[in-house]
Amino acid sequence: MGKYLLRRILHGLVSIVIVVGIVMVLIYSLMDKQLIFAQDPTYTNLGNNAKTVYQYRRWKEFGYLDYVPYTEYLQALVSSGEISDAKRTEVAAIEKKSSEDPKAVKEYVQKFTQYYESKGYTVKRLAAVMSGRKVAPGGAQQLFAFKNKPLLGRMLKYFAGLIEVDNIHYAQGDVGKRGLSFTLHDPVYGGKFSPAIVGNGTRHKYLLYCNSKFPFVHQNLVTINLGKSYSVNQGVDVFQTMNASQGSYVRSEITYPTSLTEISADDLHSAVYIQGSREASAVNIARFSDDYTGVITVKSGLSKIGYSFVIGIIATLMAYFLGIPLGIWMAQKKDKLVDKIGTVYIVFIIAVPSLAYIFLFKAIGYNLGLPTTFDMEHATKLMYVLPIVSLALPSIANLMMWLRRYMIDQMNSDYVKFARSGGLSEREIFTNHILKNSIIPIVHGIPASILGAMVGAIITERVYVVPGAGNLLTKAINFYDNGVIVGVTLFYACLSVVSIILGDILMSMVDPRISFTSKAR
Amino acid sequence: MENKKTNTQPVLTDEELFSPVSHSDLESEKITAPRYSYWRSVFRVFFRKKINIIILSLFAIILAFTYIYPALTDYNPYANLMNASAKHLLPSAAMKLFGKNIHWILGAGASGQSTFDAVWFGSRISITMAFICAAINLTLGTLIGAMWGFSKKVDLVMTEVYNIIGNVPYILFISVLVLIFSAGFWTMVFALTVTGWLFIAYFIRTQVIIIRDREYNLASRCLGTPITRIAVRNIMPFMTSVIVTLAATEIPSYISYEVFLSYIGMGMSDMSLGRLIYQAENSMLTPGWQFEFWSPVVIASIITVVLYVVGQNLGDASDPRTHM
Repeated sequence: MGKYLLRRILHGLVSIVIVVGIVMVLIYSLMDKQLIFAQDPTYTNLGNNAKTVYQYRRWKEFGYLDYVPYTEYLQALVSSGEISDAKRTEVAAIEKKSSEDPKAVKEYVQKFTQYYESKGYTVKRLAAVMSGRKVAPGGAQQLFAFKNKPLLGRMLKYFAGLIEVDNIHYAQGDVGKRGLSFTLHDPVYGGKFSPAIVGNGTRHKYLLYCNSKFPFVHQNLVTINLGKSYSVNQGVDVFQTMNASQGSYVRSEITYPTSLTEISADDLHSAVYIQGSREASAVNIARFSDDYTGVITVKSGLSKIGYSFVIGIIATLMAYFLGIPLGIWMAQKKDKLVDKIGTVYIVFIIAVPSLAYIFLFKAIGYNLGLPTTFDMEHATKLMYVLPIVSLALPSIANLMMWLRRYMIDQMNSDYVKFARSGGLSEREIFTNHILKNSIIPIVHGIPASILGAMVGAIITERVYVVPGAGNLLTKAINFYDNGVIVGVTLFYACLSVVSIILGDILMSMVDPRISFTSKAR
Repeated sequence: MENKKTNTQPVLTDEELFSPVSHSDLESEKITAPRYSYWRSVFRVFFRKKINIIILSLFAIILAFTYIYPALTDYNPYANLMNASAKHLLPSAAMKLFGKNIHWILGAGASGQSTFDAVWFGSRISITMAFICAAINLTLGTLIGAMWGFSKKVDLVMTEVYNIIGNVPYILFISVLVLIFSAGFWTMVFALTVTGWLFIAYFIRTQVIIIRDREYNLASRCLGTPITRIAVRNIMPFMTSVIVTLAATEIPSYISYEVFLSYIGMGMSDMSLGRLIYQAENSMLTPGWQFEFWSPVVIASIITVVLYVVGQNLGDASDPRTHM
């Protein structure tokens, strides 16, 4: 069993990698790069060389290519101590045309060109665009290097950075003594008993801590890095976008490291190292004693996945609790009234476009006085009713249809006739033989529907304005947010691989005849 | 009188009455059974149910409205664009304004166009697309699915392909294709068929594997029947009802898909049923405007339900086991 499972998991991982590859080809290679500027007002307002440079800069941000301007290269030389700051200012001033450059500048431009061309970049020099004697708007001279990212390198980089383990060499600059320390009295709680591991030099300040929220012990040591978002949720990781709480701030009295006490929504446990951030603002100087200032705020609502999951899981439970008994009932009363009513319902749900019946439920709910839109600020239990019902009714129909089908197929089999001739009562035959055999394929789908609840439902969430995860992919596609597209696809692919494997395991637990070990066959 | 005549005529002698009939080996092999024609039986079973006749006539009416009606009327959605009093009208108000005729029985829309005409022009696009997609997907899916089910080598490769393609979100496929090409009719057909056949092929493969190893096929193979003959003669008849049932679920599902994609803003640019629904969404909760929203929704639902029921019942009728 173990060996078989390992092979299945490896197989799943390979297919996930290929899926990510296909998605990367789809969005980075097949789609026109120019499309991202379609609704960009900055792009339309710019002209001449500034437009070109803006293009390349955005393409770099969206992950299409690597782009290095000349000034950045010189800055890097200064940081590594190769040239002085004064020298940088001198050689950074390129002239309007490359032929007019002074000797010192020429030397460094030559160096820049050689260095990046040897690394496979294309170096581009844009001469100034003149209108009369003056430089035209946005027409200043430019020098930069760019390189298209190859698929394989892009994938390797993505998967290598997927799981990030925090270490004490993360922080750049002077942070004092690097290391981890274990304390029984978490400073966030002002010396009350609460064990925590605090790091210095790491990305997160608190690597392990406890609080009153489920599951009570939290960690920041290992973070999952699905990729950065560019337009849906600027600069924030996709995993964070899916998991961060939404809604209005929850303010409480907080004691900052400088023992300043304020009413704020900051969650000090989420503090992240940002170089030089303490010096940058007076607020940070008053609050923090080091550069661990990047905190997340506490909000009252659930996360995107949270909302989707709450709605999805209740709908799934409802579907199983109603769909299975109804399916059994229909099979028992085959060709009677109950069966006919059930069939009409199933035909309605399968044949009618899902959009149509969701709107029908919305209209019915509206007339019954139920809230038809989701409002995080004035959360009531009632606003969950319509989305849950809209999600549950189709799954109920689906379960009813398949369970009825399987049960009727079993009813005609020889072992049932044998059991009947052996004198078993109809009841016994039904519960002990028919139901047991026909429920097996239904059991296989349970993990998929539970994990699938996290993905969210596109139409339902859109119609009822639920801030869930279902619309993340469509939104990302509309905004050309490549990071989110890849991250979300990876998440979906992992869920589907895991749910199929779990389904197989569950099925082999329910039905002892199914075995995945080769020996038993 | 005649009866009596035949009874009372002892014309034949004993020799003639008991003469041996010539024996023929060929004749003795013949099985006397009523003549059986597959397709005639299918239609006999199909029309035995009275409800099928009603649904089939509904189907004919829908087809007439989607293909003949638009050819006979000239419809210009922007004809009343400048007429402010012609917008968002209830059927009664529209008929008062434009006179009583069939165009205005569903009222007028946002730009003063006839909702009734818009719906049928839209359904012509949607239904045509559904038929074309179903034809392509079912043909490709059945052929490849049959090969997939028969050959173990193909099975190994195709199962992997299925696992991978099945994990790429299809919205992504469709939207990327729409962005690469344009949001036109044929792009939509291409987007829905480029991976759609795979799921049908997988379904057919499972069916083929179930029937492939039945005893009668094993016997047939032992007797030396070539594999193509087994496929065409032994397995195809079994698959007919499966394929018809599949078509019954596929055709309405493409209409639903199209509606869904238009709703999330990734549909085609033509005024299909889905796009009509998408554009009229805001009218749903406005008092007096509901007709604009519910007409395309209800007509789309009627079309899909009729197609589904006709297909399901035809699928039942094409199963030879119901021909008794």
